[in-house]
Amino acid sequence: MTKRILVVEDQEDNRQILRDLLASADYEMDEAENGQEALDAVARQRPDLILMDIQLPIMDGYEATRRIKANPDFKAIPIIVVTSYALSGDEGKAREAGCDAYVTKPYSPRALLAKIREYMPK
Amino acid sequence: MLREGEPVGVLTLTRTEMRPFTDKQIELVSTFADQAAIAIENVRLFDEVQKRTDDLSESLQQQTATAEVLKVISRSAFDLQTVLDTLTESAAQLCEAEMASITRQEGDAFYYATTYGLPPDLVDFLKSTPHRPGRRSVIGRTLTEARAVMVADVLDDPDYGMMEMQQKAGFRTALGVPLLRDGRPVGVITLLRRQVRPFSQREIELVTTFADQAGIAIENVRLFDEIQEKSRQLEEASAHKSRFLANMSHELRTPLNAILGYTELIQDAVYGEPPEKMMAVLDRISRNGKHLLGLINDVLDLSKIEAGQLVLSLDAYSLKDVVHGVYSAIEPLAANKSLTFKVEMAPDLPSGRGDERRLTQVLLNLVGNAIKFTDQGEVSIKASAENGDYTLAVRDTGPGISEADQSKLFQEFQQADNSITKAKGGTGLGLAISKRIIEMHGGKIWVESRPGQGSTFSLKLPIQVEQARQP
Repeated sequence: MTKRILVVEDQEDNRQILRDLLASADYEMDEAENGQEALDAVARQRPDLILMDIQLPIMDGYEATRRIKANPDFKAIPIIVVTSYALSGDEGKAREAGCDAYVTKPYSPRALLAKIREYMPK
Repeated sequence: MLREGEPVGVLTLTRTEMRPFTDKQIELVSTFADQAAIAIENVRLFDEVQKRTDDLSESLQQQTATAEVLKVISRSAFDLQTVLDTLTESAAQLCEAEMASITRQEGDAFYYATTYGLPPDLVDFLKSTPHRPGRRSVIGRTLTEARAVMVADVLDDPDYGMMEMQQKAGFRTALGVPLLRDGRPVGVITLLRRQVRPFSQREIELVTTFADQAGIAIENVRLFDEIQEKSRQLEEASAHKSRFLANMSHELRTPLNAILGYTELIQDAVYGEPPEKMMAVLDRISRNGKHLLGLINDVLDLSKIEAGQLVLSLDAYSLKDVVHGVYSAIEPLAANKSLTFKVEMAPDLPSGRGDERRLTQVLLNLVGNAIKFTDQGEVSIKASAENGDYTLAVRDTGPGISEADQSKLFQEFQQADNSITKAKGGTGLGLAISKRIIEMHGGKIWVESRPGQGSTFSLKLPIQVEQARQP
C-alpha cells in the first residue's frame, strides 16, 4: 500500500518541491501550513511519517511535535524535523520535543528522500 | 607677683595703725609673692597640659572614628544609602551635633537623602521639599558658595528664612559642608546644634573629610549605575544582533532551499530527462547556490562564535574517517585542476574525542583553500599522532604567502591582499573560523610559507578533548 507522508510547511515553493519529490518516489502527501493544521491532519488521517518545519505561524513545529508525541495513538509516527534555524541548541530543542530525525534547510531532496526511507515504517 | 619680669598679680598687706613694714618683713612678703606667682604659674601650666592632652585624645578619637567610618563605607561601596546614613550619624556624633542630614542632587534640585536626629514628622516633610541655591537656608548658602558655611545663630541671622523648620527642630547653630564633584556641589552635609555653640575649625575639617567620602560614594554609585546601564544596552544590542542573524539566516536559507531543491530535482530527472546541455547549466546553478550557502554559513558561524553561542558537541570520532571524508569531497575538485592530491596517514592513529563536524569543517577549509590557490603541482594532507596530540598538515605548491600577509591571515575578513586572492574570491572568514574552532578544542593552527615556495597550514589538536574552551 502507498505510504502517506504529512508535510508541515508554510512556504508554498517548498511544499511544491516536496510534492514533486514525494510523487516521484510514489508517496502520497498530505499538507498542513502550521502546527494546529498538522494536529488536525494527523487526527483526520493517520500519516505514516511526518516532515515538520519548525518556524510556523500559529503553532510552531516544536509544540506540534510535542503534542503528537504525547498522544499514545500517534507516538509511533516518525517525525523528521526540517529547519532553517541555525542557532546552536536547535537540534537539542527538536530532540527534546521528541522528533526522530533532524534535517537542516537547505536540504538536498536526494538526501531527504534517503532519510525518509530510513525512518519510514516497513 | 612677677612672671618673667611681668606683673601677673599683686599681694597687698595693710595695717589699721601707722607702723611701717620693716625691710625684713618686706623681704619675707616678697618671698611669699614669688611663691604665689609660682603656684599660679603651675596651675596655668597644668591647665595647659590638660588642654593639650584633651585636644590630643579628641583628635585621636576622631581619627579612630573616621577610620571606623571609612571601613563601613568601603564594606558597603555600592550600598549608597548605608554609606550616607553612616556618614551622617558619625559626623553628628563626632561633632556633638544633635541633628544632621545629607542632601543630594536629583534632577535640577536637591533633596534630603538621609537625616539623623530630626523629628520624624519633619523628616517626611523635608524629604519631599526641594532645595536650591539661595540665602534662606544653610543648604542653599552652601550650594551657592560651594564651600563650608556656618551660621552661628540662626535666630540672629537676618537672611535665614527656614523658621518653621527651626521652630519644629529647635536648632541654633548650623553648619553646611558641600559634597563636591569637579568643584561643583552635588550635595550638602548639614549639622545642627540645639545650643548656640559654633563648630571648631577641626570639626569643620572633619565634616569636610566626611563630605568628600560621601561625594566619592555618590560618584562611585553613579559610575557603577552608568556602567551597568551601558552593559545592559550592550547585552540588548548583542541579543538583537543574534536574533537578527538567526532570522536573516532563516530568511536567506528558505529561498536557497527552493533554488537548490528544484535544481536537484531537475538533475535527478523528476521532470523528465534534461538535455545534456542543460545538465552543465544545472551544475553551475547548483555550485553557485552551494557557494552562497557556504558564505551564509561562514557569516553565521563567526557571529555565533563572537556571541559565545557556538557550542562544540564533543564525541568520539575517527580522524581517519574525517580525513577520508574530506579527501573524497575534494578529490573531484583536484582532478578538475589536474592536481596531484595525496593523503599520508600514520597507520595507527588513535581514535579521538572532539566535534567531528567542526573539525571536518576546518580540514575542508584548509584543503579547499589549498586547491583553490594552487594551479599546478600537488596538495597533500599529512596526519600523525604523538604525545596526546594529533598533527595535521595541509601542504600545497601554490603561490605562497608573504610574511606580512601571514600575520593577517587568521583575522576576520582578511585575506592575503594581492591579485591572486582577488581573482579567487572568498569571504576571508574561513581561516578565522577555523582558528576559533581549533582553539576551542585547545589546539593551535599556523602557517609556514614563502612566496613562490607553496604553503603548509598545520594544526596541533589534543586527541582527547574533554571540555571546550571559550574563545
